[in-house]
Amino acid sequence: MLMWTLKGLVAAPLQLLASVGAIAGAFSLILFFQAVFAGESDQIVAYIEKSDADVWVMQKGVSNMHMASSFISDWKAQKIETVDGVSKVTPILYLNTVMVAGERHWFSFIVGLNKGDSRAGPWEMAAGQALPGPSEAVVPAVLARLANLKTGDQVSIADRDFRIVGLSENTFSMANSITFIAMDDLSDIMSTFGSFSYLLVDAEPGVDPIALAARLQSDVEKINALTRAEFTNNDWKIAMQMGLEVVSIMTIIGGGLALLLIAFTAYNHVGQRERELAMMKAMGVRNRSIYASIMFQIGVITTLAFLAAILIVVVAIPLTAWLVPQITLRLTLDALFQVGTAAFIVSLLAAIVPVRKLVNVDPVTAFQA
Amino acid sequence: MSNPILQASNLVKVFGAGDAQVRAVDGVSLEVARGELVVIMGPSGSGKTTLVSMCGALLRSTAGQVIIDSVDITKLNEAQLSELRALKIGFVFQAFNLLEVLSVEDNVLFPARLAPGGMRAARQRADALLERLNLTHRRSALPATLSGGEKQRVSIARALINQPQLIFADEPTGNLDSRRGQEVLMILHDVARDQGCAVVLVSHDPHAQEVADRILWLEDGVIRDRKSEKHSWVKDPVCGMRIDEWAEAPFTEYLGKRYLFCSDRCLERFQVEPDRYAEVPL
Repeated sequence: MLMWTLKGLVAAPLQLLASVGAIAGAFSLILFFQAVFAGESDQIVAYIEKSDADVWVMQKGVSNMHMASSFISDWKAQKIETVDGVSKVTPILYLNTVMVAGERHWFSFIVGLNKGDSRAGPWEMAAGQALPGPSEAVVPAVLARLANLKTGDQVSIADRDFRIVGLSENTFSMANSITFIAMDDLSDIMSTFGSFSYLLVDAEPGVDPIALAARLQSDVEKINALTRAEFTNNDWKIAMQMGLEVVSIMTIIGGGLALLLIAFTAYNHVGQRERELAMMKAMGVRNRSIYASIMFQIGVITTLAFLAAILIVVVAIPLTAWLVPQITLRLTLDALFQVGTAAFIVSLLAAIVPVRKLVNVDPVTAFQA
Repeated sequence: MSNPILQASNLVKVFGAGDAQVRAVDGVSLEVARGELVVIMGPSGSGKTTLVSMCGALLRSTAGQVIIDSVDITKLNEAQLSELRALKIGFVFQAFNLLEVLSVEDNVLFPARLAPGGMRAARQRADALLERLNLTHRRSALPATLSGGEKQRVSIARALINQPQLIFADEPTGNLDSRRGQEVLMILHDVARDQGCAVVLVSHDPHAQEVADRILWLEDGVIRDRKSEKHSWVKDPVCGMRIDEWAEAPFTEYLGKRYLFCSDRCLERFQVEPDRYAEVPL
């Protein structure tokens, strides 16, 4: 039976190719959207990850950075510096706002950096300087390219003009971008003199960040201290939650499309081979063997389609990054597992229709001329 | 009949219900012995395929009993019927019904996977069958490249691969020219004679009578044995069709002579102008 099934599949290579291609298209659609959201979520937490601080300190009640605001007094920063195990404290100011660049509006995280301290600044530069001075800004290189700007050009943040002095790498995504300006400028915009948004705390060598975070929390009142891993995870979750519905809808659409295509392919196969199946039943092949053959056929098509989808996405990701640099994509093992599971469920569901047709194949019809 | 492989008693098959009810087979009883080739003939729609389907464990009867090799198949479930068909019955179809994507050899071997005994022994049997049916040189060919006669020989080899005790062949010569048809009939005849296999052959082919041990005539769902009963052929005086004098055909007497007709219409035409038709020599 299995040989008949396999030979039946390869006997019509164009049909097989079309079926696998169409189903792979549906699967790759899901994988692609998962990759977009994973990539974009990566970008949302990229700043936290790349800052490399052992512990992040923020206002009590705040536990993330994306779309959040936090205020922490400067005396608390000074107190934290004295806590055992703390090597260095780097304060930043932070604002979610819209930046006008090249006559377009860009949603941006504005990070205010301490004068002369690039500790919390951009981690990779494409051009110019990493540390902005007064009325200067370091903007993402991708944003500058999209807005047709270069160093020396102007951008506007909260009605104040800033001259671009540096272009940073890996600080742009569809959801946000990161712009660095001087802390005094941002403090002026936010009218928050004497306070910071977040404190980046470096631990002394050999100090456990988890223990340090707990100590900070107990020693300094009304703050929240989180290890970098916890803080990253919180922002990641928020980012994924924001995209969850869209990803779910795309998964349902892609899965539904795949379901229809697989069911149609298998149904078509049963329809084309109805007389042969009737003859098999007449010869004594049991229904369960024929069901197994259909499941095997669907399994082969689904597996081929899934592998083809991975191949498509693996090729599409760098191609998309090259063609559309503002999109960040990342194919995760989780996404592969989810789509693989969805493919398995879809293939089981898709078997219902052809199996129902198969049940109705009457072996007596083998006698029809 | 001693030791019949197939016994059917009072088989009835009713399709539909109410006014649309049709008794396709109506109280048929028959026995077929091992090594016997029985031909079932009859007009289209007479119930031949329905009868063969019931005897071949493909269709459940409305009433009656079918015993194959001492097993009452009317009491078996679907899985048991499948097993019985796989082990004890071979089918030869008018449309050949070969698996298009498999080679001749794989088609012949296909049923062997349903039976115990292993594939090595089955391959040896397949080799012997292919040689006997002059198909050895075509063993790797796909069905699409075969002639009609070759396809039917492959179909016969496939039916024989599990060494069944009973073979049902439904119009096996229906898609073949006269020469190829006769060749197929002779193969089936040899199968019955040499292997002791009972062959039930449904056919319209007059040549089938030449190889038959018995001919059964089925009409309106009722069967009778034509060789064992007295019969003679006469011509319908109106249309000239050959009619069995023994059959329950419309008839009339004219000038002391009995005339048989194929239908009531011919009878009516005769009655309008008896002198015109009575002259037709019988």
